[in-house]
Amino acid sequence: MELYEYKASELSEMLSKGEVSSVELTKSVFDRIEEVEPTIDAYLTLNRESALSEAEKIDSRRASGEELSPLSGIPIGIKDNISTTGIRTTCASRMLENYTPVFDATVISKLKNAGAIITGKLNMDEFAMGSSTETSYFKQTKNPFDTSCVPGGSSGGSAAAVASMEAVMALGSDTGGSIRQPSSLCGVVGLKPTYGSVSRYGLVAFASSLDQIGTIARSVKDSAMLFDAICGHDPMDATSARRDYLPISEALDGDVRGLKIGIPKEYFGDGIKSDVKDAVMKSVKALESRGATVREISLPSTDYALSAYYIIACAEASSNLARFDGVKYGYRCENPENLMDMYERTRSEGFGREVKRRIILGTFVLSSGYYDAYYKKAKLLQKRIRSEFDSAFSDVDIIITPTSPFEAFQFGDKMDDPLAMYSADICTVTVNIAGLPAVSVPCGYSETGLPYGMQLIGRSFDEKTILNTAYAHELCFGGFKVPVIASKGVEL
Amino acid sequence: MTNNSNIDIKHVAKLARIKISDDELPKYSEEMNNIIKMVEAMPEIDDELLVDESGVMDLREDKLADSKISRDEILKNAPKVVAGCVVVPKTVE
Repeated sequence: MELYEYKASELSEMLSKGEVSSVELTKSVFDRIEEVEPTIDAYLTLNRESALSEAEKIDSRRASGEELSPLSGIPIGIKDNISTTGIRTTCASRMLENYTPVFDATVISKLKNAGAIITGKLNMDEFAMGSSTETSYFKQTKNPFDTSCVPGGSSGGSAAAVASMEAVMALGSDTGGSIRQPSSLCGVVGLKPTYGSVSRYGLVAFASSLDQIGTIARSVKDSAMLFDAICGHDPMDATSARRDYLPISEALDGDVRGLKIGIPKEYFGDGIKSDVKDAVMKSVKALESRGATVREISLPSTDYALSAYYIIACAEASSNLARFDGVKYGYRCENPENLMDMYERTRSEGFGREVKRRIILGTFVLSSGYYDAYYKKAKLLQKRIRSEFDSAFSDVDIIITPTSPFEAFQFGDKMDDPLAMYSADICTVTVNIAGLPAVSVPCGYSETGLPYGMQLIGRSFDEKTILNTAYAHELCFGGFKVPVIASKGVEL
Repeated sequence: MTNNSNIDIKHVAKLARIKISDDELPKYSEEMNNIIKMVEAMPEIDDELLVDESGVMDLREDKLADSKISRDEILKNAPKVVAGCVVVPKTVE
């Protein structure tokens, strides 16, 4: 077994016992990148030299007897909308093609303090807008389970890198499903934490009231380890929650006896492929056999959630992306005639179609005369969706749904139809609207071997219950299955 | 209920400082109108919106703090710089 194949929890132990060095592990991961990256295309920027020199430092600190954190020496990939000092951060946009941040996001400072090794920056949909990573200005990332299929999005590079073992774990961001949906399509574990539990300082903003940084890993324990390292209050983020964050990774025992599981009927309707529903229900049955109880519940406003989501997200995006004006940083058009010409051409040439479409939609719903008809209505729906979850959680401890209505689809399948693409997020957007934590875990495979995902939604700040239930599920079904990466019929 | 089956895409794009060419216009109009049709299915809700109902905002004091990042470092990302200043097209005639 190669070093890059191990999970973080195993590597952490091997490193602390001195059975392996961080330099060996980091080299192994970069060898793996060299081997499969030409097929997968998960990375936009590689950080090889600096990663190896950081690994050397960790090894010598360990050799001198220093007590190190569990993440020390473990190679982790970062979605390219998270600010990293000295490493290009593009948001997969022409707008930021040559932008190199001068500061670290809080999550990056935390990972560096914990001794994690940054492998590089991962591909994504442009400014995190998309569900297939096809809106990236730079490249198309392939699904490791079938390279003719998309990896999902927007954190498609992160999910594909973890599944293809080009990183031990990765950070992603989730505004409407952007961690959970690609994790589902790539057969890995994706955690979208409670809004406010992980600092957004240094995350390039898409929709600030919905955005949340989270984790992608090959096991539930690894997810918990990474979440433990990045959560916590941060004065640099005004929406960061002040509370005690108790470590979860050591507390996972897979005991679900007495756990009350709710199955919302609205998430098992016609839009969801029947094989996906069957795989999820089979998983629920397994949890029941381990002592959980199951009941049907109702979240009646689910049908309208996608509409409310697109209004709120696009309204905030139109405001957040106003900063890209060609003045202080980022792309600027050639030879502007005057200031207005510079703004308009910079933004028209610097942004891709999906980003422009969402900015225009957001500008429209906020424009004079339309606020009440769209934005206000969407915010009222948000309030209703939140209260429906609140009342559901007075009866159950956890809610289980499919993550994505279908498995990974072919490149180009949904690119010409925005509404078809948006429907990929139908099961995930409500969680962002309500600010809740949710994790997606692999729960079965299609006839052609493409993964299905199951979503476990919890009460605010109760990451422990969803991760422990996910852990119980992993004990039943074995969790992550290694894909055979094949390109043009040639097995690598 | 407002009927927006024909949003003025060019006008809204202008507000957003985005240029849309005449060739691109029909496609944008079609897509935008489909999205608008979807969102118009939202139900009327007789309720009121309160400001910051979740109460999660934790505003910090408005005081200067040293960022420890030099002017030169920050200007490295600017598209055009002369004498330590960002250059833009003439704004005052």
